[in-house]
Amino acid sequence: MKIGPLNIPFKEDFSLKSILGFEKSFVNIIVAISVLAMLGMLAIGITTYLLHGHHAYNVTREHPWGLLIAVYIFFVVSSTGFCIVGSLGDVFGFKDYMMISKRAIFGSIVTILAGFTVIAFEIGHPVTMMIYNVLSPGLTSAIWWMGTLYGLYLTFMIIEFYFLLNNDMKKAKVFGLTGLLVGLAAHSNLGSVFGFLNARTISQGVFYPTYFILTAFITGIFLSFIIMGFRYKLNFDEQTKKLLEGLAKIQGLLISILIFFVTWKLLTDMYGGMPNRAEVAEHILHSTSFHTEVILAMIIPLLVILKDFGKSPVLMFWASLSGMVGIFFMRYNLVHDTQLKPLQMMKTHEYQLAPEWIHYFPSSAEIMISLGGLGLCIFLYYVGTRAFNLDEEAHH
Amino acid sequence: MARYGMALDYKNCINCKACEVACKEENGVLLGADKHRIWVGQNEVKGEWPLLDIASAAFLPSQCQHCDDAPCQEVCPTHATYYDENHVVRVNSDKCILCSYCMNACPYDARYVDDRTMTVDKCTFCSDTRLARGETTTACQNTCPTKVRIFGDLDDPNSEISEVLRTREHFSLKSHLGTKPKLFYLT
Repeated sequence: MKIGPLNIPFKEDFSLKSILGFEKSFVNIIVAISVLAMLGMLAIGITTYLLHGHHAYNVTREHPWGLLIAVYIFFVVSSTGFCIVGSLGDVFGFKDYMMISKRAIFGSIVTILAGFTVIAFEIGHPVTMMIYNVLSPGLTSAIWWMGTLYGLYLTFMIIEFYFLLNNDMKKAKVFGLTGLLVGLAAHSNLGSVFGFLNARTISQGVFYPTYFILTAFITGIFLSFIIMGFRYKLNFDEQTKKLLEGLAKIQGLLISILIFFVTWKLLTDMYGGMPNRAEVAEHILHSTSFHTEVILAMIIPLLVILKDFGKSPVLMFWASLSGMVGIFFMRYNLVHDTQLKPLQMMKTHEYQLAPEWIHYFPSSAEIMISLGGLGLCIFLYYVGTRAFNLDEEAHH
Repeated sequence: MARYGMALDYKNCINCKACEVACKEENGVLLGADKHRIWVGQNEVKGEWPLLDIASAAFLPSQCQHCDDAPCQEVCPTHATYYDENHVVRVNSDKCILCSYCMNACPYDARYVDDRTMTVDKCTFCSDTRLARGETTTACQNTCPTKVRIFGDLDDPNSEISEVLRTREHFSLKSHLGTKPKLFYLT
């Protein structure tokens, strides 16, 4: 260990050389090239946005929120999920889960940084936002609370990580608990951004603020399998197997609850044929992206867990990859489905009927920035594994 | 200090779109189908010839409803959307961050992005133009050949709009959402 500025303990061999000195296996090289390509796409996407503004995106008057909002949600949900999983050990004291705490808390930091990067190029005036969020806060705005609380949450996560690195578990617990509570508040506020949309009856209500917390926990467990899978190259030791088996069992319960929630959400949406709600729910039920979400994020992982009650961590690693793709569709569907129904149902231009459904497909700039966010997230995480010891240490 | 509102005798509308043109001209709204502060909605005629349902083919001029409980104002994270001294819902483009939350929250699809400032824009009841010059009419009202629109102070019991709302039945759009619109459709 070498001690850096502010008493931050870095790995002894941390340098540019150690970052580039990964094992040159086929998989590693493929991942490295993919990450570089995604970072390149991020640069191209941002340049296109800076040159053309929102015209680089396929967002419209009728569909003002596009892929970047979905990807922002994807990352911040991942961050909250990592935070919940990380807290199991260092905040709540479950000893079996202690070994993943530091890694998960670091994951929560890099995922939210990726989320902030993506949203910075979706919000039209991010600098104005930072100024007027403070000078004239809109306290009735769910976006204000969500953004402000996420800012605080990131601060607490960084402080918690600092104390975890320094093996100061008492202070890590205090900041971890505070960060967790602020993170959960931020996250349910993100749900309320949709839940407060009285104009959009398909999203309005208590469902999203609570469902976001549930899906965050699920996302956190999927991501835990993925990062532990890469850490141990799918060759888990007994202690890790015990951790992952416990997480898989929790995941089985959570996914079952999620299926229960989603089923009742759709049934209540359709029941009685309420205008602007029932037909939207029916449209969602018949959409391929919803089927993809259900199969990849719910059915496949649940079947794998039920096979032997979570005793196959390698299979769960692959199921978690499927789960994360499903979670991406879940976020995309949330954003798109909210805006499916046109608010102005009448014909407003000669020779042009009002659309029955609002169509949207992301532009290349939106796709490139989104993939770039993923690349940035993986890159930062990789640098973190080279810079810090993310494994559990003997405590004082 | 007033509380401006508008009553629309919408059955008189002939869909000439003079109001849309006048609004664009008066307020410098950019060209383009999506860039509009006001519009005339049109129902398609139902039924088949010769049994056409003529009553279904109504024109419904519309715009920002200048709600007393405006969802767009409540969701704005920086107070860029505000009520001015005349209770008109306005956007301060210096504070607008273009998060587009107001566009999603407005039940009336009354907001769009002004490409010059890259901020959200909407009907202002001509506050920056005609009202600022001391006039008491809006461009859409002034130009309407069939006198569909009546604009005025809802707090003044002697104003034409107050009188017409006292004497004629009227309804508001999506009033079940509790937005308390200040646009009234006369029946």
